[in-house]
Formats: sequence, C-alpha cells, structure tokens
Amino acid sequence: MRLKGSIQHKSCADGSYMKEYQLDEPLSKEFFEYLKYFGRVTALEEMGDGYYNFEKPNWFSIKGFAGDTTVEVRFKRETMEITTDFLYLLFSSFKEGADITALKEKEKFRQKRIAELLK
Amino acid sequence: MPVIYLNNAATSWPKPQRVKDVLAESLELPVFGSGRTTGTQGIDYISLAREKAAGLFHADAKQIVFTHSATDSLNIIISGFLKKNRGCHAVATALDHNSVLRPLHEFQRDGILRFDIADFAGGYVSPDTISSLIRKDTKFAVMTHASNVLGSVQDVRAVADILADKDIFFIVDGAQTAGHIAVDVEKIGCDAFVFTGHKALLGVAGTGGFYLKDAEQIAPTRFGGTGTQSSELFQPEDMPEKFECGTQNITGLAALAEGISYVKSRGVADIHAQGMRQTKYLVSRFREAENIRIHHETPGVPVLSFNIEGLSCEDVGFILSRKYGIITRTGLHCAPLVHEKIDGGSGSVRISLSCFTTDAECTAAADAVLEIAENAAKRFNSA
Repeated sequence: MRLKGSIQHKSCADGSYMKEYQLDEPLSKEFFEYLKYFGRVTALEEMGDGYYNFEKPNWFSIKGFAGDTTVEVRFKRETMEITTDFLYLLFSSFKEGADITALKEKEKFRQKRIAELLK
Repeated sequence: MPVIYLNNAATSWPKPQRVKDVLAESLELPVFGSGRTTGTQGIDYISLAREKAAGLFHADAKQIVFTHSATDSLNIIISGFLKKNRGCHAVATALDHNSVLRPLHEFQRDGILRFDIADFAGGYVSPDTISSLIRKDTKFAVMTHASNVLGSVQDVRAVADILADKDIFFIVDGAQTAGHIAVDVEKIGCDAFVFTGHKALLGVAGTGGFYLKDAEQIAPTRFGGTGTQSSELFQPEDMPEKFECGTQNITGLAALAEGISYVKSRGVADIHAQGMRQTKYLVSRFREAENIRIHHETPGVPVLSFNIEGLSCEDVGFILSRKYGIITRTGLHCAPLVHEKIDGGSGSVRISLSCFTTDAECTAAADAVLEIAENAAKRFNSA
C-alpha cells in the first residue's frame, strides 16, 4: 500500500498536525492488524466496514475506515520531521511476510532520536 | 453525503440568504461612511450595524464599539481597564474561554494583574463563590454569560448586583448568548458586554464588538485615524472613536446588521425555544445509551457536550464526520479549566445548534451518536 500524497492538512486544537492522505488501495483490517506491531490499535469492527485507530504516542495516530482510500494521520508536531518517513515506510512495507524485524530496527533508531528531542 | 453542520457555537452556518445578499450589495457601491468620504449616495453600514446592535442589547448606539471578534473585544477591555488600574486584583471563572484566561495569565505574568478563578458546580458559578473571592483591591470581574462547553447560562444579574455594591467593573462575555437569548444590558447591570458577529448573530467571521456603559472606565490601547477631530494628535475621547481606529470591516458589519435584523425578525424568544426543544430531544435520545455521558443535561443555549465511554472524543468526531457527514467539534473548545473538571482534561464532543438546524438533522445526529455508542458498548463488552 502506498501513500499517494496529502490531500488536506490543518493544525489541530490539541497541537497536533493533521494530514489526510490518499492511498493507492483501500484500507483493510489486515493493515491495522499489522500496525499492532508498532503501537496500539483500537477498533469498532461493526462500524461500517470497520473503524480503526492506531496510536503511537509521540509519533502519530492513524484513523480510518476499512474500505476507504483516504486516511487521517495526526502527527506530534515536534517529532514530525523524524517520523514522517517511517509513516511512509509502514504503508509501503505492508504485505504478507513483511520484515517486521527490520522495521522494528528502524523504529528503534527513530525512537532514540525522539527521546533525545523530547528530553 | 449531505453535510449536517452542528458546530454553530464555533461559527454558525448556514447564513440567511439576506446576509449573503447584503455582503454582495455592500461591494456594489463605494464606501459611504461618516468622516472618510464626500459620498452620501449609499448606505452607512457601520452606523446601521451600530444601531441594530444597540437595539438588540437595549443600549445606546454610542455605547457600542466594533472590533474583530469577541476575543479582540475582551483584550481591548481588559488591557484598557488595566491601563487605568495597574496592579489590581480580578476575578474570573473556571467556565471562561481562553479569550479571557490567556489575557489574564499574560498580564499576571507581566506583573500588572493578580486574579483568582471562581470554580463551578453542576455547570454554574455561584454568585457567592464570586463574592468570596473579592478582595479590597479587586477592581474587575469577568465571566462568561454561557459556557461554550456546557451551555449553562450563568446568573450574571446576581453577580452584577454583588459587584455593583463594591464598585467592581463587570465584564460579561456574551459570545455564546448574543442571538440565542434576549440580552438587555441595563437589566443585567454589567459594565461591559462582549459579543461576536459570526455565531448566533449570523454575521461573518471578523466582526464583533462590545457594549461599554461608561467610556471613562477604560483607556484606549489602540490609536490611529478615526475620520474625526483629525487636527488632534491624541486619540479622541468621543465614543466610539475612543476605541475604534483604522478602517472598519465594513462588509462584515453590513452582514452583521443584516444578521441581527434576521434574528429580530425570527424573534430571539422563538429561536431560543426552538433550540431548547431540539436540545432536550438530543438529551432524551442520548439518555437511551448507558455509555453516553452528557456533561450538562439542562443547557440554556443549544450547546451539548458529551463523551462515549471507551472512545476518545476525536474518534467520535471522526466517525460522525466521515461516516455520517455530521460536523461537530471535539477537544477542549478553548476552555481548558472546564475540561479539567468534567473529563479530566481529555476533551469532549460538542454539538451546537443554530436557528437553521432542522428536527430531521437532530434525529439523524441522535441516531448516529447512538449507533456509535452501541458499537463502542459491544467492543467494551467483548473485551
């Protein structure tokens, strides 16, 4: 799955920075299952085709409905520069047999930088 | 998907057709206002808006000052009052908006003000609580007329009586009441009443103002051209020039005048009755679900804040928007002290109605919120 680009953005009341992205294929339950390796996922599976929310504190959150080809991402503004490329990586790496270990290594590297930044 | 707009406490939408028409008409001719042109062929929208606002609030036109917004008004009044009363003590309330809280905190940090916050219970600030915070050097008090989170209308008249006895200047923030409930500044007994144009008065963003009982009480903090007494190099003392300088938002004030006319033609009492009936309906529907927490069930203006157990307010707002086309507002609504008390600072979903909200829209909103709550309960039960 690929993020094709941001179709709108705004500053949110909670201080986060929201970007809505267009995807090249619809969101799925499986995608959010995969995201559980990297943060907390909550779901209302009977809400439409399923509503999902991924939370990764100090990084970003991802909200969306299964079947939709757009997704809302809210970045923590202070760490956005470090986390944006990882967001793209999360989407582009999603496939059966994705190398979670390699992704976790990349996550760890960024987590260290985030911890230093927020110190 | 049609949009159901229930965020009118932020900015009302839609606007009456005649407001949209007058916006266009006001740009058809050059500006005709006193002091800045020899032209007399058109409408002086600023004077018209002033007369309309004065009529709505039962004030004299010379007591009405136009600004950019309610926030702008509060800043002008508070800073102007402090210019004459540097170092004084003030009282505000935990229901107040950041348009009050931030200026007060900034001035306190600068060492030119000290203040106390009156707490609330059950949605209301007790006049006795205000009274208990008054000190020898308390010179002004400021409070919201209706909470923008809870919709609770405060007993400003009782507070005014207490303050008047002690000669304390009283500012009422009417951002959420002007246009929703009848406002008579004489009957309230306040020294200043703040309003905004873009909410229930059905004007456009960038307009607001305040009623000021006695212009001597505050000093001007902005200076510049007024189109009057131009040989004087100090700001005129006349009203409203003392507080209005530079070219006004004439188009916006044309819309405000027409918005007020529309509100008057519909009748404030009738608008209020409709809003209360619809709000009561929403409350009664929300009560059907055990996992919906309504933060104040008897608001006096059509503002309803709630949370659904197990879901963040942002989740609920997102689902309402994306799945149902229902626009609300989520978060702290610029009133952080209210949320500290009602939801631990995590924020709420706020539904706010206007005189254009239909019963069918309320039904759709109630159905949608209940469906989300039902789904949240299922997840909670299965967890």
